[in-house]
Amino acid sequence: MEAIKPKSLEEVLEYKYKYKNDAKIIAGGTDLIIKIRKGEENPKVILDISTIQELKGIRETLEYIDIGSATTFTKISECILLNKNLKGLKDAAKSVGSPQIRNRGTVGGNICNASPAADTVPPLLALDSILVLERKGRKREVYLKDFFKDKGRVDLGEDEILTRIKFKNLLKNQGLGFYKLGLRRALAISRLSFAVFLEIDEMNRIEIIRIASGAIGRFPMREYELEEYLTGRIINEDTLKEAESLLERIIFERLKGRQTAKFKSIAAKGVFKKALLNALYLCKGVNEFEKN
Amino acid sequence: MKKRGKGIACIFYGTGYGNGFPDVSRAYARLLKDGKVEISVGATEVGQGAKTVMVQIAAETLGLSDKDIVLINEDTSKTPDAGTAAASRQTYNTGNAVKIACENLREKILDEAVKLLGVNTKVGLHIKDGLIHVKSYPSRNVSLKEIAENNKELKAEGIFTAQTTQMDENGQGAPYWPYTFASCAVEVEVDTETGEVKILRAKHVLDVGRAVNPTLVEGQIDGGFAMGVGYALMEDIGLKEGRMTNGSFEKSIIPTSLDIPEIEKVLIEYP
Repeated sequence: MEAIKPKSLEEVLEYKYKYKNDAKIIAGGTDLIIKIRKGEENPKVILDISTIQELKGIRETLEYIDIGSATTFTKISECILLNKNLKGLKDAAKSVGSPQIRNRGTVGGNICNASPAADTVPPLLALDSILVLERKGRKREVYLKDFFKDKGRVDLGEDEILTRIKFKNLLKNQGLGFYKLGLRRALAISRLSFAVFLEIDEMNRIEIIRIASGAIGRFPMREYELEEYLTGRIINEDTLKEAESLLERIIFERLKGRQTAKFKSIAAKGVFKKALLNALYLCKGVNEFEKN
Repeated sequence: MKKRGKGIACIFYGTGYGNGFPDVSRAYARLLKDGKVEISVGATEVGQGAKTVMVQIAAETLGLSDKDIVLINEDTSKTPDAGTAAASRQTYNTGNAVKIACENLREKILDEAVKLLGVNTKVGLHIKDGLIHVKSYPSRNVSLKEIAENNKELKAEGIFTAQTTQMDENGQGAPYWPYTFASCAVEVEVDTETGEVKILRAKHVLDVGRAVNPTLVEGQIDGGFAMGVGYALMEDIGLKEGRMTNGSFEKSIIPTSLDIPEIEKVLIEYP
């Protein structure tokens, strides 16, 4: 195995063009190194992008927030550019592994590994993020929601890499909520997670809602049926109850035949509700929603 | 919805191997030429504090400060057998062996002091801060260093055998001699919508006899509590047809510090 540390994005793309699928991208290495040790991966070449400045950091351009793919979870959870209405994204970044893993692991890796349990993917889906994919001499954009093809499989060419993730910054009456259910309070792989993007009017009527789930499908995904049901409704107890039973049916149907179907379809209701309420409190400008 | 519940439980726990199993700890104490005392003991430090406690016991027995004790432990080529670091036996069993070794060494040191001080008996001699005094005449003294220079071969052994008897064929009897009595109370909150369980608070009361080092005892309570939480709420090796399905720490979950509440601790030191 050969390790190459390119000095610029241009060089990375050059090497990726040369080696194609023989080259694996390494940034934090929190997944790849484990796979290599287990013998699940044995790439000819690893391309280290962890110090490529063009791929790191978070910036604001016009109405977009734009995150480099090699930005660590720690950087996301501490970024002052991400305002408090985006708390759900920070919460998700903070819920990844341990401080050591958050210092190494990157959002680009979280997306490209396409794990169903990837923590930052549901909030990025709820934000309707756009991915910037680059190959030598060409650049294209694709919606995150269209990026996942199957468990561990994404729409990424053999000479292509993910360079940036962008989404529209939130307005005052918008909020992003997140809730994750793990087997413990830290260092826990998600068993179930929800992210909710919400825009409401003064009457608490839902103008826009985007809901994304984690760990209850082959990859993190949008819950369109639930979004459709909730759009235009006023948030109150009846709406919530209806939405919850709809969600329970959807999840049970999706996981049918699996041991976890019953537990997950019931727990999903509670997790979704917490994510929705987190988003609602952010829309309303309430500082802190007491999670516990 | 969140529901709360409280629970309390009491146990007693026998220290040492018990049930008539030979339970012997050995220790050596030796006067070094600089007046410090070397303790050799097989006791293994596994985080319980054996290294600290053995030094404390030796220092107190000999009237020295902990800086004057040199501990050699764990190295089986140099130290006598002190049994396993298991069954909560090291502080009590091996601690007693260290104490006996130090008492034996003390007698030998005092025998030497009698000669050097020109007094007629050990009675009334007192070791403090590395000096041996005549109690009623403190300016009449000799240091441990002088004694070591005079006699390079001062050493002693301590053997402690724990009291233990075998139970009868019906499992009846008194298999242990020392016991620890403990009680624990917790308040727990369950989120009925997500299944999340949170321990809100916990209190532990332990009758430990004499706490040789109270901070270490509290540390053991913290660790023991966390292990209990793991057993009760998380740990599952997931045995399926004889194979573990949760065969790594990625899947076999134990609590982290964030899963453990502040634990209120009470030590009862009796007698």
